[in-house]
Amino acid sequence: MNNQATRREFLRKMGISTAAANLMMNLPSLARGATDQLPRKQRLVFIFSPNGVIPDHFWPQQTGRDFELRRILAPLADVKSQVLTLHGMCNQIKGDGDGHMRGIGCLLTGIELFPGDIQGGSDTPAGWSMGISVDQYLKNKLQADAKTSTRFGSIEMGVMVPDRADTWTRMSYAGPNQPVAPIDNPYQMFNKLYGQTKNREILASVLDDLTADFRRVEKLISAEDRQLLQSHVQMMREIEVELQSELAHKSVDNALAHREPVLPPNVQEENDNIPLITRMQMDMLVHSFAADFARIATFQITNSVGQPKMRWLGIDEGHHELSHEPDSNEVAYEKLIKINTWYCEQVAYLAKRLAAIPEPGGDGSMLDNTTLVWTNELGKGNSHTRNNIPFVLVGGGVGFKTGQALDFGRVPHNRLLMSLCESMGHEVSSFGNPDFCSDGSLTGLS
Amino acid sequence: MKVYWFLTIALLVCRVPIACCAEIDEFLGDSQLQRGKEIYAQSCAKCHGAQGQGVNEFYEEPLVGDDSVGQLAEVIAETMPEDEPEACAGEDASAVAAYIHFAFYSRAAQVRNRPPRIGLARLTGEQLRQSLADLYAVIDGVTQPVDQHGLQADYYDGDSRRRDNRKIQRVDPTINFDWGRESPGEDIKPEAFAVNWRGGLRVDTSGRYEIVVRSSCSFVMYFGRDEKEFINNHVQSGEKTEFRKSIALTGGRVYPLRIEFRQRKRKTELPPATISLSWVPPEQLERIIPSSNLLAGSFPAAFALQTHLPPDDRSYGFERGIAINREWDESTSAAAVEFAQAAFEDLWPAYRRRHQVRSDAERALLKDFLTLLVETAFRGKISDELRIIAIDRQVDMEPDDQEAIKRVMLFALKSPRFLYPDIDVTQSPSQRVANRLALAMFDSLPADRELQKLVDDGNVVSPKQIRQYVAAHMNEYRVRAKVLEFLHEWLDLSRISNVTKSEEHYPAFNASLLQDTRRSLDAFLQTVVWSERSDFREFFTAPWAFTTPQITSYYGDAWLPDQDNSELGFPGELAKTVSNPSYHHGILTHPYLMSGLAYYDTTSPIHRGVFLMRQMLGRTMRPPNEAFTPLSPDLHPNLTTRERVALQTSPESCQACHSKINQLGFLLENYDAVGKFRNEERGQPIDASGSYRAQDDIEYQLVGANELADFLASSHDAQQAFINKAFQFFVKQPAAAYSPELLDQLTEKFRQGSLNVRELLIEIIVAASQQGIEPAKDQLAADNPT
Repeated sequence: MNNQATRREFLRKMGISTAAANLMMNLPSLARGATDQLPRKQRLVFIFSPNGVIPDHFWPQQTGRDFELRRILAPLADVKSQVLTLHGMCNQIKGDGDGHMRGIGCLLTGIELFPGDIQGGSDTPAGWSMGISVDQYLKNKLQADAKTSTRFGSIEMGVMVPDRADTWTRMSYAGPNQPVAPIDNPYQMFNKLYGQTKNREILASVLDDLTADFRRVEKLISAEDRQLLQSHVQMMREIEVELQSELAHKSVDNALAHREPVLPPNVQEENDNIPLITRMQMDMLVHSFAADFARIATFQITNSVGQPKMRWLGIDEGHHELSHEPDSNEVAYEKLIKINTWYCEQVAYLAKRLAAIPEPGGDGSMLDNTTLVWTNELGKGNSHTRNNIPFVLVGGGVGFKTGQALDFGRVPHNRLLMSLCESMGHEVSSFGNPDFCSDGSLTGLS
Repeated sequence: MKVYWFLTIALLVCRVPIACCAEIDEFLGDSQLQRGKEIYAQSCAKCHGAQGQGVNEFYEEPLVGDDSVGQLAEVIAETMPEDEPEACAGEDASAVAAYIHFAFYSRAAQVRNRPPRIGLARLTGEQLRQSLADLYAVIDGVTQPVDQHGLQADYYDGDSRRRDNRKIQRVDPTINFDWGRESPGEDIKPEAFAVNWRGGLRVDTSGRYEIVVRSSCSFVMYFGRDEKEFINNHVQSGEKTEFRKSIALTGGRVYPLRIEFRQRKRKTELPPATISLSWVPPEQLERIIPSSNLLAGSFPAAFALQTHLPPDDRSYGFERGIAINREWDESTSAAAVEFAQAAFEDLWPAYRRRHQVRSDAERALLKDFLTLLVETAFRGKISDELRIIAIDRQVDMEPDDQEAIKRVMLFALKSPRFLYPDIDVTQSPSQRVANRLALAMFDSLPADRELQKLVDDGNVVSPKQIRQYVAAHMNEYRVRAKVLEFLHEWLDLSRISNVTKSEEHYPAFNASLLQDTRRSLDAFLQTVVWSERSDFREFFTAPWAFTTPQITSYYGDAWLPDQDNSELGFPGELAKTVSNPSYHHGILTHPYLMSGLAYYDTTSPIHRGVFLMRQMLGRTMRPPNEAFTPLSPDLHPNLTTRERVALQTSPESCQACHSKINQLGFLLENYDAVGKFRNEERGQPIDASGSYRAQDDIEYQLVGANELADFLASSHDAQQAFINKAFQFFVKQPAAAYSPELLDQLTEKFRQGSLNVRELLIEIIVAASQQGIEPAKDQLAADNPT
């Protein structure tokens, strides 16, 4: 095949007129032929769950390809070949703020918190992070290049994030002192993603009733005054015709691509709706990726020191409260395993949905071009350690070699942040505090 | 063409000319008019048209204007007919002048020949904004005037805000504190304390405001409704101490405001505690929010539309909603969606709390809630048929409450029943009165409970009933805001902005001083209107003004604050000046106006004269024949400004207008380009003499600003110009559309009632409330089956 083929030649060979092409270019499989030059789409999602894990039921016992998924990671069995576990990542950032604050605030930024007035349970008070987080950094890079820019660039989602802005509730930063609030209300998220379209649909559907009402009202007033109303209603009719044609095109596109999700109505933001809200948010995330609204996302389930009460698992205590219990408390220990398993099920749900959808305009599945990074502010809840922070990667977005368990011993997690930048095509000499970056990005990932 | 006729005031769509019998009798019995008519037909109609309508390729402009018969006669005698000016002079010229003045030239003739009618109009941008604000207020009501300025403040020892930790309760006039590392008050430890400020922010004019909080400590600011976070600095972090956020606010509204400030106890070194609350009002400089705009107490939630609305048509000389285009249509959709969001987030939960029902009745409750909103938006009860279309059908299509509300609001707020307030011809007489009343008084719809009750009981129909309601509610912030906007319109202040002056001649004149003078003018205007006597004459002759230290130091002794009478000051930092009975402060010589109506380095008698002619005396003038650059003072170093202007406008083609303009403008020559008093210019004494010939043909010879002020205060022309402007601004229809005599009647009443501005505005609203557009003929029949 002639690699120099122009778009027009290609279309001619396919027997499509240029006029038809305008419509058909919206179809993924055909659009691809014309956009062969574009790099492979790479997506990166950071999924956060709080309060550390139970390491003995989390980390695979042996490293390498021949690893076993233990209880907490078992839900990932179906996509095991796409899983990569990274043991030995340590958040070594010191400075102000308690462990939970630095745990979340330095997790994606790799840099200290500013001094401030938020006093945690221990340590000195702190403010916001001093630097940009890796998701926002990559978003800026992707948005700056026409080949990788998308409508939103990144999407910051949350599930039951407390309605207060503080160091424990923010993971993503647009820059020093600029925390990015995740949107945890699915309807608000829907509005952001599809609001304009939805509003136009509603408008198109009420316009018919409205113009009928104009005609009723016209009869009430004198002939002179009627002129103004008539010019108004004439304009409304033009708008109606245009809107209908616009929406008709869109529904053709929709039928062929993926329909935007339909949310169940009137779901309140409350603890017991966490599973439902998580599902709603994830469905919108999948659709947003299919529609290429964004390539980067964060998905923050509650917050650092989060207190969801997983009554749907028969657990009435809050998660953070339980996480302080010593390992010897067998009941609490068992509950913590169940809680973390539930988080893993959510990661697995997202992975499997992505795996089931062919990449629009690309090769393989959407999961083949997406990397989910499931992480946490602590390594273990009751010790508050930030060594061996959970980093479980699923999918082929960044191109790391998956289907294996790796152990790096004890390395600053800044080096992983550097590797992620590099694998997304934006090599950096450091990320966050350079003191933790001198050994460069991690080796042996690809 | 040498003669310079005056431009018509634009008239509305007209019907068949009708002359009333008395006037026709007068005409037939008057031999001078008969003679004038004959001469006109012979010598003038060829170029000017039989009815003075103009003739293509000869003289195209219609012969209409507001010169007196005498002035017309002079012009005719001197210049007409064009090819033989001496052919028509003396009594002939007077007869022609009298005839055309009576037949088509004068305002009375124009109204008689082409009676304006009340025309249908959609809501203007401001009316849309205000209507949505009141629609939102249907649940919790509108803020009523309160006396206490400032914010309610509670000071706590420790940062926990527990009631037993509360050490100080007081009203802080403004928020501007620097406590350093000290305690903010007795019994409060400096290392950990909290302060709550609570109250309302009163907004004078609609526009985009920037709110600026500077604080070294943690704070959260709530705004608009109780729990709505506006600026969140819950986390004090690093060196960040300045927080700015911009928001569009609606004039005449009070937005609840709360700031929770805390100095947190910490293990590290205690930083100093500071906080200030400032704003940048539209086209102004940043300043601490003055206490005049802060109200202490608790206030209902208020809605501020953020959607940008396109500017309105002003071709009639006042804003009217007659432009129908895509941009406007899209803005109404965006406004409806924005309002629907607020209805879902704020109003629906509040309504539900008040009407608790079982969960299976929630949908019915939602429909009740939406019926309340739709009936308020449609300004009256809706029929069952309309309820099914507007509410039931829309709600049944959307299982989700938020989407259902959006659907109904899009239908309702884009409906002609909302957008065209006059389409209420099927409503009860009291409802229609209330609808027009609310539109004239608040630019809004009747949503308050008291008015709604009057409507339901049919108790707002007669002029007396209407007057009673209006008089009792004149004091409302919504009315005050509209009045202030009107006064700005009267003074045409939108033309004055970004005034800068030559640094060489006026080195200390700067933006900050200019802003002080603007505030001084606003405070003056408001104080005159809302004082006990509300005396129109005070606008011109008040012996006092409002000053600031900056104004006093720049403008001198006439602007010294009155130390003995501090309680007379305007809430805020403005002080009343000493009263000087021999010196009229008033608007005419106010530095804001004087510097605005002047050039960069010299005065402009022409700008001042045009201002006096058009704005103050209501005379209509055509724009100049071409654009002129003023003569440079440097080229005429020996001439005063007066002499330069006289020189430049000496050609006969200029004099038709400039003989009037200059004579008025010269009266203010004692006030230089920044409005400072002066006795001489370039070493020569100021000549501030001038004259004005009124519409009744009387010529007034005046000298200086004081005489001008005395003249305007009592001038029929000035009073009627003010009334006409007020009517147009408040009602957005021409007064003559209500009755040809209305303007004269209002003027008469105004003069009899000791020129009380507030009473005048009440009369205007009462007059406008009683009459709306004409319904369709068959609709009339349906209303009156007999």
